[in-house]
Amino acid sequence: MLNVMLTGVGGQGTVLAAKVLAQAAQEKGWHVRTAETIGMAQRGGSVVSHVRMGNEGEEVQSPLIARGCADVIIAFEPAEGARMLPYLAPTGVLVTATTAVQPVTAALAKDSYRGSVVLQGLRDAFAQAPDQLVIVPDDELLERIGNRKVLNTVLLAKAIGTGRLPLDLDDLRSAIRACVKPAFVDLNLQAIG
Amino acid sequence: MAKKLLMGNEAMAHAALEAGVRVVAGYPGTPSSEIVETVAKLRAAGIAHGVHVEWSTNEKVALELLFGASLAGARGLFTCKQMGLNVASDALMSLNYVSVRGGLVLVVADDPGPISSQTEQDTRRFAAFAKVPVLDPSTPEQAFRMIQAAFDLSERFHTPVIVRPTTRVDHASAFFEVADETFARPVPEEGFERDVSKWVIFPRRAYEAHGEINERLSQVADAFSSEEPFSSFNEVVEGPEGASDDPVFGIVASGISAAYVREALQMVEERAGRAHVKIPAYRFMQVGTPYPFPAQALSRFASGLSDILVIEELDYVLEDELAQLAGRTHASFNVHGKLTGEARDRGENDVDDVVLRIEKYLGLVGRLRLHLHEQDEDARTASISYEQASELPVRPPVLCPGCPHRGAFYAVKQALLKTPAVLCGDIGCYTLGNAQPLDAVDTCLCMGAGVTMAQGLSVVDPAKKAVAYIGDSTFFASGMTGLANAAYNGHDITVMVLDNATTAMTGSQPHPGTGYTLMGDQNEPLSIEAVLLANGFSHVYHANPLDKDASIVAVKAAIAYDGPSAVIFESPCIQLIKPDEPVSIDADVCTGCKKCITEIGCPGIGFDPLREGPRSGSRGQAFIDPALCNGCDLCVQVCPFKAITFPVPDAEFADLAEDEVFEVVEAEAEESLADAEFDETNEVEESYVDEASHDDGASADSYQGEEPDLSGFDETVGVYGLEDEELFLFDDGAGEADSAESDDDAEKAVAIEECATVALDPSELEEISAAKASEPDGPQSVDQEALTRRLVLTDELNIEEDLPEEGGQDA
Repeated sequence: MLNVMLTGVGGQGTVLAAKVLAQAAQEKGWHVRTAETIGMAQRGGSVVSHVRMGNEGEEVQSPLIARGCADVIIAFEPAEGARMLPYLAPTGVLVTATTAVQPVTAALAKDSYRGSVVLQGLRDAFAQAPDQLVIVPDDELLERIGNRKVLNTVLLAKAIGTGRLPLDLDDLRSAIRACVKPAFVDLNLQAIG
Repeated sequence: MAKKLLMGNEAMAHAALEAGVRVVAGYPGTPSSEIVETVAKLRAAGIAHGVHVEWSTNEKVALELLFGASLAGARGLFTCKQMGLNVASDALMSLNYVSVRGGLVLVVADDPGPISSQTEQDTRRFAAFAKVPVLDPSTPEQAFRMIQAAFDLSERFHTPVIVRPTTRVDHASAFFEVADETFARPVPEEGFERDVSKWVIFPRRAYEAHGEINERLSQVADAFSSEEPFSSFNEVVEGPEGASDDPVFGIVASGISAAYVREALQMVEERAGRAHVKIPAYRFMQVGTPYPFPAQALSRFASGLSDILVIEELDYVLEDELAQLAGRTHASFNVHGKLTGEARDRGENDVDDVVLRIEKYLGLVGRLRLHLHEQDEDARTASISYEQASELPVRPPVLCPGCPHRGAFYAVKQALLKTPAVLCGDIGCYTLGNAQPLDAVDTCLCMGAGVTMAQGLSVVDPAKKAVAYIGDSTFFASGMTGLANAAYNGHDITVMVLDNATTAMTGSQPHPGTGYTLMGDQNEPLSIEAVLLANGFSHVYHANPLDKDASIVAVKAAIAYDGPSAVIFESPCIQLIKPDEPVSIDADVCTGCKKCITEIGCPGIGFDPLREGPRSGSRGQAFIDPALCNGCDLCVQVCPFKAITFPVPDAEFADLAEDEVFEVVEAEAEESLADAEFDETNEVEESYVDEASHDDGASADSYQGEEPDLSGFDETVGVYGLEDEELFLFDDGAGEADSAESDDDAEKAVAIEECATVALDPSELEEISAAKASEPDGPQSVDQEALTRRLVLTDELNIEEDLPEEGGQDA
């Protein structure tokens, strides 16, 4: 069983990324279940997508990942990655973007929230297992690509790059062709490059 | 037949279409909305043939419409969220007595948590109350099969049937093979057949029907216990593998909890295996047909058991039924669950919790190791944890960046200032107006209750202004009867209609005010203004919520009126429009006062304590997140130092000075007046389509009066029909603290007088008059004088705000 959790702030594109992963797993012939956060939380709240894949022929029961069972957590925002750490398996990998999204509550507070503080906290948390933390400088990468909308594809490619999922970049490319609107396929494929 | 990843809701839509559904209707509500949307998409794509699909104005309307279709022999699918069934309950309770002809299936999505709802009510209970069979899926695949079974059951027993998924079934996805094309089952040639003894409910008929209902429920319970496909929804498994003893421990679960229990049992077995602990034999059953309770199947299940643990969400429905079964059959099993404190009494279940419950139940506590992956854990001394988890920023849902509701809430707060008021909220995105810093919602109950609660408050607490917010979709769903009540009983309330041209919270569904239907037709949009007028709201003002000063004036004017009044805030939801270029903050000008944040709380504005500038020193500065900002410009109007600026001027007005812009707008309005014709005989057939309702409010605003007074247009006149003191009466006697604000308001009054003009759009007046004249029993005369007022406020109304009073400089 492979459990991938995608977490971020409403509107960041976790849902499509979860679909692409599910498609990639389906093309491998694995049983797949996913679950989404839809509704009020999409308005700037924390959102989580669960992707569960029976890569050893198992049937997936629950669509939700249990605590301590996520093989990979893909965080579109560092604080959301930190928030979901209780779900990470002891050998699991956290792939996180660096760009923070500051909620209004934090802007109002005396001490504003800064992503760099959380990133340092994450580095401390993974001090004994630095290979399990992958920090993706999304600002830099997306500037080079020229479009912030491909954040999800970049993070998926990085997650696959960790080698923790028995999927390769060709599987990802194929799934993108199947899931993404034709007009955006090339843009996303370039992002993988 | 390709395999497709479908959400539970999408799968149920496919299932209904494959079952030949002819009419699909509902009202949006999370987590149910995608069912109707999927049917509409498949119809539009030419995949689903012969189906009629619609968003009805509310759930009651949808269910009654479907019942009509059923009487003509069509299969109908109704969808709503759990509270939607409350709205439709009047129809449901009675139609069950009348009985259905074409299959009638109600998908009622429950929301444990609740994640997007006001209640954790359990539709299984509602089904029992209404005496209607209910199916309770555990997975999207099962939901698919249950929809098809429900249609057959409905026609076999002439009963409506409820399918009750929960959020984790609605919004969970799996791969499905679905039909390439679907065809609605043809309606019998004769269509509706008159039968007064059958289709007309009377007390005598109701008595007979009650007996028929009791009879059929007993037959359905038998079918649930022993017939396929129902018995497959009540599947029983025994474990662990290789157990030699007969089980004495039973576990029963419902819906998604059944999936959690299956997974939890696997985990417990794995962990027991690793710890070399033998776990006792158990028997597990999912009850997928909770009402009428399949007592025979449960009796078989309970045979030989000493205990049954019930894992279910929301109410203790199965737990109650099992306790009754034990009593009725003198069985000796004990029932454990919510009532005994052995399961969560509310909220969602999850695998983690169920593992612990089962371990305890099976007497395994302390005998298994803590972690689920201990072969992995052996490699590490401690698992990875984030130390400062409590310091992570919380993210309650908020109004989107650029959301026009923000401007409306801000205007209401600014218009009221310290005037005592109760702000009655309602259901929709605008419930989020309660969040800091807007803090502009005092109550929220159910669809349409803002308008009516305000009336009760106005009766007993008249010292406070009674203000109600209502969104455009909610307005048509359940606001209108409340409006009529306000006028009829003479309640002094002010209704703020937040018209963003869509049903935003549930994913941008159209409604009567848009005129767009799921069948792809563009019908004439219903006018919110006309509805207000027809319901006796004589003082109706319009405002663009993203124009701060004009909105404040409109709110003041409406609240000043002693009687039912309204402001229609018109600006489209940001999901519907292309965003403007983001604004930016001039680091040389920003003082770090934080006013942009503390006043309107837009997610597009952050604060960086490390930013420095000549005027902010080491205080920090606000910054715009360009990925979030949609250029609504509200913050530009709020910043007291003009530190927030547009990227490029509006192209149309780029080369014009501010007063020249006013001239252009005025000229356009004059032109449109000159073009219009007047016909007092009311024979004009032109339709009233308020095309300008989402314009910036400048060029097309109008005043409808008895006699069009074209001569008045060129003159600058006061806000029509209002005495100046009416506008500002809130500050009367409000105390010393407010005196500065009163002065400020007086200044504004002068500006308003200078700038506000009143224009007239004759076609609107004619249309309303024509509509009234065509109603034989309609009002005999329309008080044209008091029909409506629209304010035309120009950019010249930029009145300087006071400098920030609090917080900023000291931050």
